[in-house]
Amino acid sequence: MKRYPRYRIPIGYMLLFSFFIVASGLWLFLLPQGLSETGSLIATMQQLVKSPAPKSWQQFVEIAAPHLFAMGTLIFIVAHFLLFSTKISRHFSMRLSLWLYIAALVDILAYALIIVGIVTTGWIKLAVLAVFTLLFLMLLAAVAVSLFQ
Amino acid sequence: MKFLVSKDTAPTPLLRQLMTAVTVAMLLYMLLDVALHGYLIGLSPQAAAQTLYGNEEAFVEPILFESLLLQVHIDLFMALVSLLIVVSIYLRMKHKEKVRKGLLHALFLAALTAPLLLIAAYFGGSFWLYGWIGAFSLWHLLALFVGTVALKRLIAS
Repeated sequence: MKRYPRYRIPIGYMLLFSFFIVASGLWLFLLPQGLSETGSLIATMQQLVKSPAPKSWQQFVEIAAPHLFAMGTLIFIVAHFLLFSTKISRHFSMRLSLWLYIAALVDILAYALIIVGIVTTGWIKLAVLAVFTLLFLMLLAAVAVSLFQ
Repeated sequence: MKFLVSKDTAPTPLLRQLMTAVTVAMLLYMLLDVALHGYLIGLSPQAAAQTLYGNEEAFVEPILFESLLLQVHIDLFMALVSLLIVVSIYLRMKHKEKVRKGLLHALFLAALTAPLLLIAAYFGGSFWLYGWIGAFSLWHLLALFVGTVALKRLIAS
């Protein structure tokens, strides 16, 4: 990204915004799972695995529809900056963005499996959420490394 | 298909027209966003305090924390996307000149801290509401300024 020094400011702040968007999203997801009552992250995750909060199809669609748009757009916006990176390999960028899109899709649709009754515990949602968060943080780190190289 | 290799918008009238239209849309969005927050939260410290903490005398319930966090989550996303569009066009239109970096830092910092200050006000008291109103007003004013400068350049080019 050496050829575009003036774009470093918006790209740098984009990384900060993205981090807070993910953090507020996680907080928002964990609140009805028991975080508002227990106040403990570990206890909330245990409760989510044991008995995830019940949701209707309407609630699922209300959450899934905007997230398909917003997560798809945000991953695209952040990941496309890797095109200009001279530090991160093209192969790694392609793999990372592909797995990120797969994780985002499974994460959004995971609750449908709980509503239908295919899975009764929330471990799948928790696992996919953790994978997505980890991959997204890796993407942010990759863009940050490219930006400040 | 011919891809753009020049930063000059003069020989590409379609791109100039598209950039003008999206800048106008973003400027209108920012104006309406101020009105929207006026309705949802309130733009004076008294109105915002009533929304956040409720008012027993007026029988107004305090906002649910989940609703406030959802608003913050949406605000962060909308601010990011709208600012990336406006600032990218602004930087492109000023590619031959020096850019005031302080202006861009102030714009992004105010936009980032405004939603976070709203959360701080919910937990920390009405003192933080002044910060939220200041940061919210600042980022909208600066974004309108940056958008207007970009629009002026687009029309003149």
